[in-house]
Amino acid sequence: MAKDPAGDAVNAILAVEGLNKRFGGLHAVKNVSFAVGPGTITGVLGPNGAGKTTVFNLLTGFISADSGTIEFDGQKLDRLVPHQIVNCGLARTFQLARPFLGMSVLENVEVACLAPRVRHEGKPRLRAQTLLDQVGLGGKSEFLVDVLPYGDLRRLEIARALATRPKLLLLDEPFAGLGSNEIKPLADLIRSLHRAERLTILIIEHKLREFMQLVAEVIAMDFGEVVAVGSPSMIVRHPRVVEAYIGNVELDPSTLPGPDGRNGAA
Amino acid sequence: MGGPIRHIDWLGALAALVVLAVGPWFSGSSYVIGVLTVALCFGIWAASWDFMSGLTGRENFGHSLFIGAGAYTAGFLNVKFGLSPYWSLIAGPLVAVVFGIGMGYPTLRLRGPYFALAMLSAAAVMQSLTIIFSEYTGGQDGLNGLDPMLDSTLAYYYLTLFFLVLTAVILKLLANSSWGTLLRAIRGDEASCQAAGINVTFYKIASLMISAAFAGLGGVLYAHYQLQVGPDLFAVVLSINIIIMVYVGGMGSIYGPIGGAILLNVLTEAFRGFSEYRLWVYTLVLMFIIYFMPQGLIAPLWRKIRLVMR
Repeated sequence: MAKDPAGDAVNAILAVEGLNKRFGGLHAVKNVSFAVGPGTITGVLGPNGAGKTTVFNLLTGFISADSGTIEFDGQKLDRLVPHQIVNCGLARTFQLARPFLGMSVLENVEVACLAPRVRHEGKPRLRAQTLLDQVGLGGKSEFLVDVLPYGDLRRLEIARALATRPKLLLLDEPFAGLGSNEIKPLADLIRSLHRAERLTILIIEHKLREFMQLVAEVIAMDFGEVVAVGSPSMIVRHPRVVEAYIGNVELDPSTLPGPDGRNGAA
Repeated sequence: MGGPIRHIDWLGALAALVVLAVGPWFSGSSYVIGVLTVALCFGIWAASWDFMSGLTGRENFGHSLFIGAGAYTAGFLNVKFGLSPYWSLIAGPLVAVVFGIGMGYPTLRLRGPYFALAMLSAAAVMQSLTIIFSEYTGGQDGLNGLDPMLDSTLAYYYLTLFFLVLTAVILKLLANSSWGTLLRAIRGDEASCQAAGINVTFYKIASLMISAAFAGLGGVLYAHYQLQVGPDLFAVVLSINIIIMVYVGGMGSIYGPIGGAILLNVLTEAFRGFSEYRLWVYTLVLMFIIYFMPQGLIAPLWRKIRLVMR
């Protein structure tokens, strides 16, 4: 197995090396390697079927890799099962929100506050309420989760992941299925979490506009391979990315980040 | 659901306890006392089924496996080894727990219907084994001549009532604790539970062990009431009857299934007046309840009372 370039390996909170996964004849993840620096927001971009969610499932132990290594915070995750990985400080949200139906919003977050990693950090119920306040669901804590609209379920997913006090948060298409008026507040929430907690975030997304404004670095994937890594402004001009993904999408140049990393548009 | 335990819940529990305590006095006949003792055993079985399956949603179609394990342990220890029946109160639940680990460890790690099917078949296999190894188990006749734990049937009724109350209190407190929250979360979505850092397999197996322990305890109490154990204690129909009682009582509430078990046992006896039409009437009542009250009868009714008494 090859080593990362020295600089990357020392600094990275997550280092993925030569990851492979086949589903029968489909080579879903092909020799994927990348590193994520601590305190960054990194994006994973790619068309449907590019293997982005499979990479997330490999990172979080929901499926096991055929080969390759995953090193997180100085620890190998390869042989661990999902709940162990969460308790190492790597939490995720699901592409389709998966709440605990039949339970209150508060109880939904309380469950994650009972994870061994955070169990003794104060009363689970109080922590859950604080987290709900943080994601803007504080007033709905006694609601039955079954009645929450989709946008609120996304926030609930994030609160549940935050409850395990992750060092790295994986967000799987957090904006999918949201109305245009829900996207901006959620992006602001993710940004504020990043700033307030110095939380490292890895985020899969399709919604180019919000996504490109949010992330500092992008890992572009296509057909299970990493085709390019770089800043958002570089990635959208990268020929492999344009060919694979951007080619048939109308891109508004005003939404691209400016040279200082801030977004160009108001 | 149902929120924290309130004063009214303690009052309700106390009222139910008083009814059960004075129940035998309405008719002092040992026959009625016997019917009520059996009803209490079913209450223990229904509550223990509900703790695992009602809370996590992983249906157990072979609860009789644990009942039979407890009852046959009592039979062996008392009849074959001449041990005091009281030892069985410890040994019966322990043997049932061993069965619980043996069943839960391989099947509860998997998703899908494996657990339900494995329980169903394991109980059926044990029923056959008791007949195949008849030189040890007494075959179809079972083991006879168990010593009674207490001399009077009324005293034994109160002993059984004590264990039912113990079961109910322990299981209800567990169900209302963070443990219960996790079990209901498992029912909601296992993958989300794992993503929340919860060791789902551990909680399912541990809950099955607790469920098995109390089912085995009920089996021991039943064996020392009947003073006989037979292959029917492993029967699928026993498991199904318990599930029906849980549904009638209201799944996931612990107290509801106990009420359902007692209600259906008493109803069965009350319908004896219909003689050969008894099963017809019983089945019609069941269909009526399940059709019009799909959430069950007792737990939803109590939730309404709580709302009114707020």
